Amino acid sequence: MSITLDFDVKQLANKRQLELHYLPAKINGDGECANVDKYFNNYTREASDYGTGVLTNALRGYPLLGKREAVPKGYKGVVLQETDPHQAQRQLRLTGTFEEFTYWNYDKVPSKGDGYQQAMTMLQVAEALAAPIGEAELEEELKRQQQAKKENL
Amino acid sequence: MSKKSTRSTKLKADPDAVTQQQVACATKKVFYISEKLLDAKDAKDDQRLCLEHFYHPGKARPALFVTLREHAIMEVLEYAEPRRSWLMNSEVCSNGRTYMTTPIDATLLALHHLRRHCSQRAMSLDNISVDEPDASTHRLLTKFVRADGLKCVADVKKSGDLIFYKYNSDRALAWLALKTRQVVLVLKAKQVHCGLGAKSENYVRSEKLVEENDVNEMDYMRMACDYVGRYLDADLHAELTRYLHIPSEIQALVEEKANTQKRKSQQDAAGANSKKIKLGNGKEDAASQLRKSSLLDNDDIKEESNKSPSTPVPLKERSMSAKEKALAKGAKGSKSISSFFKVK
Repeated sequence: MSITLDFDVKQLANKRQLELHYLPAKINGDGECANVDKYFNNYTREASDYGTGVLTNALRGYPLLGKREAVPKGYKGVVLQETDPHQAQRQLRLTGTFEEFTYWNYDKVPSKGDGYQQAMTMLQVAEALAAPIGEAELEEELKRQQQAKKENL
Repeated sequence: MSKKSTRSTKLKADPDAVTQQQVACATKKVFYISEKLLDAKDAKDDQRLCLEHFYHPGKARPALFVTLREHAIMEVLEYAEPRRSWLMNSEVCSNGRTYMTTPIDATLLALHHLRRHCSQRAMSLDNISVDEPDASTHRLLTKFVRADGLKCVADVKKSGDLIFYKYNSDRALAWLALKTRQVVLVLKAKQVHCGLGAKSENYVRSEKLVEENDVNEMDYMRMACDYVGRYLDADLHAELTRYLHIPSEIQALVEEKANTQKRKSQQDAAGANSKKIKLGNGKEDAASQLRKSSLLDNDDIKEESNKSPSTPVPLKERSMSAKEKALAKGAKGSKSISSFFKVK
């Protein structure tokens, strides 16, 4: 019951870079769509009124505010694709990699308040939780605990 | 006729094309993979990452983890927002989730099995997983759990080549407490808001407020403890909360209330010179002023006083200023404005 991520680490370096947009919309449908360069990227503008690096665009007439975001430090952004989900040995193939993408918000400037940004802080929290604890520290804590118990008695 | 026929043929042709496309592309996923798993230096042989299910104590069911052969394990976290999708080059991906591999201490996952099997007697890791119906436990305990991690939560007994572990709750709790403190440090460094209630990031808070409300050690502690608790059995989480002397949130709320009341009374005692908001004690409130100005009809007043007998209209206090008198004179004979809005 395992899924293999079917790619070689060496492949990552020379795989094509993808241009990604994280859109604030639910889209019912997948696959090739109209010319993104012509109908979307072409309209991306810098909007310095909202702050540095803030971009504007519109999706179906709805105004978007965006920002270039890098993949968190220490991580590699990859896009994987499952070939056939009905096989017994499931496999995910590598489609491409990315180091940056454009994060789009509807109606508000991307900020620390966004769910995405907050999720990224959780990466650091997870690291803190996983950091190993030294023997000496543990012994100290145990001693402290025993002392506290004695004082209470 | 001809128009109709073309339309129908189109309809027949289209759905097939759409489903074909969906089969091919519906399963794209965006992953953030930790570079620790992608270290190209020792990628000499066929080294593939694997997604596997292991029992997750916090969720009480198997969850997804990513493994690198036999020596590295990370958790797969999923970030999902209700309305998000990706645009990749010129392709749409309706799956707006982001999957992240985050480091995890496998000892946390082993704790559940240790508590279940080794709280009474010492067992070797091989024996623990014998009773389990699922091979994943065996794989987890023998391959990914480190001995120096287990040492922190269990007593170790060696007999020849065999190593036996017995769960030690004092050590485990002390170990978890240290983990919690590590999390607290990060939460503080990242200035994650841990207090009660929500707070907008969009407003710039005054520095004074930050000093007063934000630095609450216990709130950070509670948040960190809850975070650690997401990887623990529910009863162990409760034990940890007790160990760290964290009051429950309701208790904290009550205390907070008591504190603010205290603060208020202190203020009252100390702040005689504090500004008071003018209440309508000297003068009448707006409603009676309106009545006084006799812009309302008399029967309106009656109606109102009937509706709210507890607050009788202070008729006695009526004293008209010259301006009001003039107004009243002008209004004589004309209909009151409010009469137009009455229900008929």
